[in-house]
Amino acid sequence: MSRRSLVSLILIVAIAGGLLAASLVAGNSPLLGLDLKGGVEVVLVPVDDPERPEEITSGDLDTAVNIIRDRIDGLGVAEPDVTRQGGRVVVQLPGISDQQRAIDIVGQTAELRFRPVCSELAAEPITIAPEAVEIFEDTEDADDTPDEDTFVEDEVTEPEDEATEEGVTEVTEDTEVTEEPVEVTEPVDPAAEVEIVSEVPVVPIAELDERGLAPCPTDIGNEFGLPTSTSAEDQLDSFVVLPERNDDGQVTRRYLLGPSNLTGAGLSGADSAFTNEYVVIANFRGGDEGSNKFDELAAECFSGTAVCPASLGGQGRVAVVVDGTVEVAPSVNAASFDGEAVISGNYSGDEADDLALVLRYGALPVEFQDPTDPQSDSTSRGVSATIGSDSLRAGVIAGIVGLALVFLYMVGMYRLLGVIAMLSLGVSATLLWVIVAWLGETQDLALTLAGVTGLIVAIGVSLDSNVVYFEHLKEDVATGRSLRSSLEQSFRAAFITIFRANFASLIAAVILYWLSAGSVRGFALMLGLASVLDLVATYFFLRPCAQLLARSSSLMANPHRLGLPTPEEAMAEQASQS
Amino acid sequence: MNWAQRLWRNQTKLQFPELWKKALVVSAACVLIGIVALLVRGVNLGIEFEGGTVWETTAPNISTAEVRDVLRDVGQAGAKIQFVGGDVLRVRAELDSTDANSVASVSAALAALTAQSIDDISFNSISASWGGEITSKAIRALIVFFVVVAIYITIGLEWRMAVAALLAVAHDIIITVGIYALFQFEITPATVIAFLTIMGYSLYDTLVVFDKNRDYQRRSALIGKATYTRIMNMALNTVLLRSVNTTITSVLPVLAMLIIGSAVLGAVTLAEFAVALLIGLLVGTYSSLFVASPVAAYLKERQPEQLELREKLEARAQSRGTTVHEVEEEATAGSAAGATAPAPRLQRAAGTRSPVSSTRTARRPASGGGAIPPRPRKRKRR
Repeated sequence: MSRRSLVSLILIVAIAGGLLAASLVAGNSPLLGLDLKGGVEVVLVPVDDPERPEEITSGDLDTAVNIIRDRIDGLGVAEPDVTRQGGRVVVQLPGISDQQRAIDIVGQTAELRFRPVCSELAAEPITIAPEAVEIFEDTEDADDTPDEDTFVEDEVTEPEDEATEEGVTEVTEDTEVTEEPVEVTEPVDPAAEVEIVSEVPVVPIAELDERGLAPCPTDIGNEFGLPTSTSAEDQLDSFVVLPERNDDGQVTRRYLLGPSNLTGAGLSGADSAFTNEYVVIANFRGGDEGSNKFDELAAECFSGTAVCPASLGGQGRVAVVVDGTVEVAPSVNAASFDGEAVISGNYSGDEADDLALVLRYGALPVEFQDPTDPQSDSTSRGVSATIGSDSLRAGVIAGIVGLALVFLYMVGMYRLLGVIAMLSLGVSATLLWVIVAWLGETQDLALTLAGVTGLIVAIGVSLDSNVVYFEHLKEDVATGRSLRSSLEQSFRAAFITIFRANFASLIAAVILYWLSAGSVRGFALMLGLASVLDLVATYFFLRPCAQLLARSSSLMANPHRLGLPTPEEAMAEQASQS
Repeated sequence: MNWAQRLWRNQTKLQFPELWKKALVVSAACVLIGIVALLVRGVNLGIEFEGGTVWETTAPNISTAEVRDVLRDVGQAGAKIQFVGGDVLRVRAELDSTDANSVASVSAALAALTAQSIDDISFNSISASWGGEITSKAIRALIVFFVVVAIYITIGLEWRMAVAALLAVAHDIIITVGIYALFQFEITPATVIAFLTIMGYSLYDTLVVFDKNRDYQRRSALIGKATYTRIMNMALNTVLLRSVNTTITSVLPVLAMLIIGSAVLGAVTLAEFAVALLIGLLVGTYSSLFVASPVAAYLKERQPEQLELREKLEARAQSRGTTVHEVEEEATAGSAAGATAPAPRLQRAAGTRSPVSSTRTARRPASGGGAIPPRPRKRKRR
């Protein structure tokens, strides 16, 4: 018995110590929140859109603020500070020194658009031999060309396997074409390139009807040669060529897309669901803002008009475009959707979730200037802590003084048992530090001042487990039970109580974590951690300690050292009481 | 023995049922004041909830402390001070940006500090950073939490305890939030977290008290000999020191934070946060003993078997011409002190070791021990 308790004791101390050492070696340290350490802020300024002269309302910006906040919340438990300051959106992220990372986290700032698909194109522009040659938007693509001889071919044939029937027909119609570029891409002669630029097909200018839609161009000639549109060309009211990417960010195919009449502002929400398979359900706002516009578009695609041409044997397709990338381009199977569209496509559960996330969070009603572009008004820069270092120091001193007082009180009250209680606290605090540091590194869990104080309170409360045990022990001894057997017996009884109470806290923590957002979530995590660690320290540290104490005959003979009465005193008291 | 010694030995003889009556008045008054304060004065929400005004200006070589001193003079001690990109000073305060006078006074103060013209201090409105969605999600989470915890306590203990425990939690939250409304302390996200901490603590504390009570209610020596309330009274007396000790160990760090926090000028957030925790911890302990317990006892005593028992005890009291209380005292004498009476085997073990102790103390059990036979005990084998 004592051997086992000794092993347990050594093990828990070794684990706590080892983890602490590992954590320190790995350089993990808790991520301090915006109030304690500052971070990076990204300022987003809306794009001045000459086409939409009406001012962007503060309501739009507030919606954008909420979406961005949700998006960051969805990534972890960092406590961001997202506000609208006048006409800009300011996003502050804690503990990050790398501004690029902050921008990445703030993420896609472009709005979501629904566009009719005119035709599906290969991943790279393909031109017809002999005079045509590929043209690339930037040099990066050009560098890749030598490797792409087979890649181009692959990419052209790949959609045949995966794509819907429409895609297949489009590609097969031009089977000849796919053979050609193999020869053509080889001579990348700068002179030739310049010469031939005029030969490259150009995306025609759309002639919008009153609904903001336009019939697909039929006179492009070689539409497979169309270059991918730049972000400047990616306008709501023009034809564009945009890529679809796989998980690794490689372009798998491209689409010639018509002008859009509907943006993410028309979406009210999206969620994944499982019926016979995983699907994504997109909900549109009622009326002309959403549902009606989508139905207009859907009607065109369903009947396969010039706006949204049907391919052989199928219906037209609608592409969901976020940040210049086609997320999904399902074919439309109904003329009217009544505000709810179901997107299906052999998704796995994760894929459906991801797509729903994109639809939900990609629905920014405002387009912001790119913070990575030095020309834009959007910026990113470091920010300092909001709490002065003097306040922080005061907080730390207060914590130390408070703990010292607690130590004195516990030792005064329970003598040696009090010391053990504080050691047990040390074990759980060490484990807590390790976990918080680890979560700070991996999950961006930020410790704010409130969080630190909450931890200090949690420490005070976790002493309760010890107090419950000690009081139970005292009660047992007072009835005349021997100290040695009380140490073991009381633990069992007390642990049931401790477990039940901590389990309630754990339930609270789990529910709050699952269902809430923002700093409430961070709190829930702390509460849950503190509860579990309390149980761990009580069972694996306090219990073996008590068992080892029971081995010491000198202690058993002098219960005063444990703050307990001797059996004789206990009996005497009981006598005097009655 | 004085009261402290009795408390230390878990031998207090507080008559909780008497105290409950007084506590009912106190609690009712506090809850009422809390609700009235909430309805009449409302809560003072911080900039994170309501938005406010943000000032920006270049301010090289100026420290946070200097800015804070200046802001305190214009009544904005709680403002958030931040340096952006090195030398741009940003001040955020809970002040309506249309309140031209107040905004101008802050601008003027900042202009004076940075030795610039007031036109160089730009200001703008700032929206709330705590989204309405966070609140609605938190409320939804709380409702689910209450339901699940109610189920948990109902399964682990019983539904009456669940009702009592949740009432106590509601009591604590209303009083704490009520105090914030009454004194118009600013509610920040940190305070909301403090309220949640209180909720968790209150529930935890109540469960520990209820567990002790259940332990007592199951003792064969007490079953049928005293009313539920009387047995609970014994349980509460033994658990009292634990409640006091736990409260002290939890309150000490918070108190240190409050005192040191307020001593250091400017640590306003720290102090206000600590106030919420302090009140909550004290009220949380109080409510376990004086709200949750009487509610549970009241509900329990309405059960038919408890009514029957009370009738039986009353009849016995009448026949002897004493009170129910005395009958109960007599029936349960000697049972109040111990959690688990020693089995005979263990009694002997204690006896064999007695020579180690001094003879003076060793003699005592011989004289007094005979008067108290070991309480019969349901032995549990494991």
